Amino acid sequence: MKLHILIGGKAGQGINKVSEIVSEILVSQGYFIFNYRDYPSLVRGGHNFNILGVSDKRIGSIESVLDIIICLDDKTLNIHKKQLKKDGIVISYEGFENLGRNLNIALAGCLIKILGIDKEILIKQIKKEFDNIETINSAEKGYQSQEKKFDLKKLNNKIQIMSGSTAVAKGAVNSGINLYLAYPMTPATGVMNELAKNQIKNNLMVFQPENEIAVVNAGLGASFSGAKVMVGTSGGGFDLMTEGLSLQGISEIPLVVYLASRPGPGTGVPTYSTQADLNIALKAGHGEFPRIVIAPGDPIEAIEKTNEAFYLSEKFNALSIILSDKHLAESEFSSDRKPNKIIPGNINRKIPGKEIVKASSYEHDEFGNTTESPEITKKNAELRLENYEKIKKETEKFEMIKIFGNKKSKNLIIGWGSTKTVILDAIEELDCKFLQVLYLKPMSNKIKKELENSNKVILVEQNLTGQLGRLIREKTGIKIENRILKYDSCPFNSDKLKKEIEERLK
Amino acid sequence: MTKTNLSTKQENTWCPGCTNFLILEAVKKALSKTIEKGTKQEEIAMVTGIGCHAKIFDYLNISGIYGLHGRVLPTALGIKLGNPNLTVLGFAGDGDTYAEGMAHFIHAGRYNSDMTLIVHNNQAFSLTTGQATPVSQEHYVNKAEPLGEFNHPLNPIKLALCSGASFVARCNAKDIEHTSQIIEKAIEHNGFSFVEIIQNCLIFNKEMNELDNLFYKIENKENKKTELKEAIKLSDKWDYNSNTEKIPIGIFYSQEKPTLEEKWPQLSKLKNKKISWKDLKNN
Repeated sequence: MKLHILIGGKAGQGINKVSEIVSEILVSQGYFIFNYRDYPSLVRGGHNFNILGVSDKRIGSIESVLDIIICLDDKTLNIHKKQLKKDGIVISYEGFENLGRNLNIALAGCLIKILGIDKEILIKQIKKEFDNIETINSAEKGYQSQEKKFDLKKLNNKIQIMSGSTAVAKGAVNSGINLYLAYPMTPATGVMNELAKNQIKNNLMVFQPENEIAVVNAGLGASFSGAKVMVGTSGGGFDLMTEGLSLQGISEIPLVVYLASRPGPGTGVPTYSTQADLNIALKAGHGEFPRIVIAPGDPIEAIEKTNEAFYLSEKFNALSIILSDKHLAESEFSSDRKPNKIIPGNINRKIPGKEIVKASSYEHDEFGNTTESPEITKKNAELRLENYEKIKKETEKFEMIKIFGNKKSKNLIIGWGSTKTVILDAIEELDCKFLQVLYLKPMSNKIKKELENSNKVILVEQNLTGQLGRLIREKTGIKIENRILKYDSCPFNSDKLKKEIEERLK
Repeated sequence: MTKTNLSTKQENTWCPGCTNFLILEAVKKALSKTIEKGTKQEEIAMVTGIGCHAKIFDYLNISGIYGLHGRVLPTALGIKLGNPNLTVLGFAGDGDTYAEGMAHFIHAGRYNSDMTLIVHNNQAFSLTTGQATPVSQEHYVNKAEPLGEFNHPLNPIKLALCSGASFVARCNAKDIEHTSQIIEKAIEHNGFSFVEIIQNCLIFNKEMNELDNLFYKIENKENKKTELKEAIKLSDKWDYNSNTEKIPIGIFYSQEKPTLEEKWPQLSKLKNKKISWKDLKNN
């Protein structure tokens, strides 16, 4: 059983609330959901829509065809009716115009009835969020107005919903974060909001300096004086942080960076998604110094990998970059998998306050004082390389890659980051093995073997130039010719991706 | 009396006779007093920018970050966020602060974090061989501007006052005793303190070296130190362009207001309990 429901309207009409209420109810009934948010860069008006995928099995993508359209305005139906299946259902705002701000609640009520879920469950959920009789009545009015079309019986799955942003925040809290510094930038802001919300309870602080240059330099300052720090941004802000990454490289002050991509160059398409910033995550910053780049593929992995990023940064005085994108950060995923056990990462380095300790942006001697000695310069460079070798060894303890699908298959799909869940949905019925790359730097040695053992290899990325493909070629010498690349800033549809993979496997 | 343990064994590479030696001496004197009054040497941290001024990092035996050009203030702010119990000093140059790092300078007054910024102002980018900074005088001819600097200098004291800095002072590098007293007071001040030290460069922009007879100490009747309007008026006496007008030195303004560390409950908790973030988790 699988349904795709589009909820559309103007910004400010409460589309997300509909998805949220329906998702909560469905998950409580044991169903998996996936919620995609599509919105232009404006605050009120325009055309926003969510696509909510519902299934009795794991689901992590949207499809190009819709089972149900919920319209909070006329534009929604006009734009999306061509995607509606022949026997598809339309739930319209018409008849509920007088409900004002509760229109969205009434339409959520309509949908719950259509799905065949008891009214009591709906009312219970509404009451959880609203202490308002009008809102409850609106939900009921919507519910009564519809006929039951599906019969979603309660299932026994124990599922939780989470966005990538919430998950990164959770991973940071699990790691004992003290300070999160960021300047507002979509789609990284979700982590800032999430951490800020419970900062007192979680004994941490969220601070917004004057720009990203201040963010990264303050981040290093705070880490130096003994705090566990993460800074967050998207591509443009990350560009500004670049000098700070380089400072990290020579000063060896631990730093975790959260980079959530959106399409560039420049301001690009700010509220949509891309995987085009892998190259800058790998290379940004002048000079040669170690770093760790990890790309989780779903929220549970985001919790785990954020924790690993903190652990590795602290253990090796290194720079860790958690690479995400708008699609992972802002979509809501459901999962019945529990994250791995938390890895503690204690601060054992020298910090000021108790002793004299110097960190420097210059090449420096053992006391932290400036040197231009060729011998020390050479030795320090080699020590940085040595440190990277140690990092490499340590990362082997973690899941650097994952293999899904038919593990004996000779057809191999390769991808990373937020395309993970759509690839999983696309290959469900295909003779395919899926190799997910989680550690982009260091990179697992096992990738080469997987490539050599396969007959057909297809690279799937949401960018123009196949950045993971190029990285793999750099590391293995193997060029992946067969590439499915999407660079229109919108996520893959699993049905279309499935067809494309089938074509390529012929 | 300067305590010897504030010195390092690092070879000094300032030009012979550079006024930075005098600033170093004044800083050591002020820090000795701060330590005498009960602050532990280990509890002091500095941040330096990049430029001639910044070499002070190697000559002071205290913790710190030899940071990036222009980034003294955010780095120092970070150190305070990481541990508000530290006494933090920033050393920066005029190019460093007023060109590359200008955004941070304005916001530092707004945040009012309890730290001290000392700007070594020689009105030139000297380590890069004498280009004009935003406080170089008009018509200053340098290698990058053979036609002369076309812009009028900005007035950092006035800017700091307008940006909400709660302690604003100017010193003459050659007056070690006065400079050390002002730095001591700046460190003592609870909030963001800005101390600008006017200094000579013996190699570049020598035109602005003939100011010795122009300096005069601000007297109490001239400035109550708590009146912003009076302080701003006083800041207008010298425009950084003239080498004939009188130059007031001393404290222009000193007025306590809530600090960043007092406003954020997380930081005030760390301060009140005298603990670090690490200890907070176990508290």
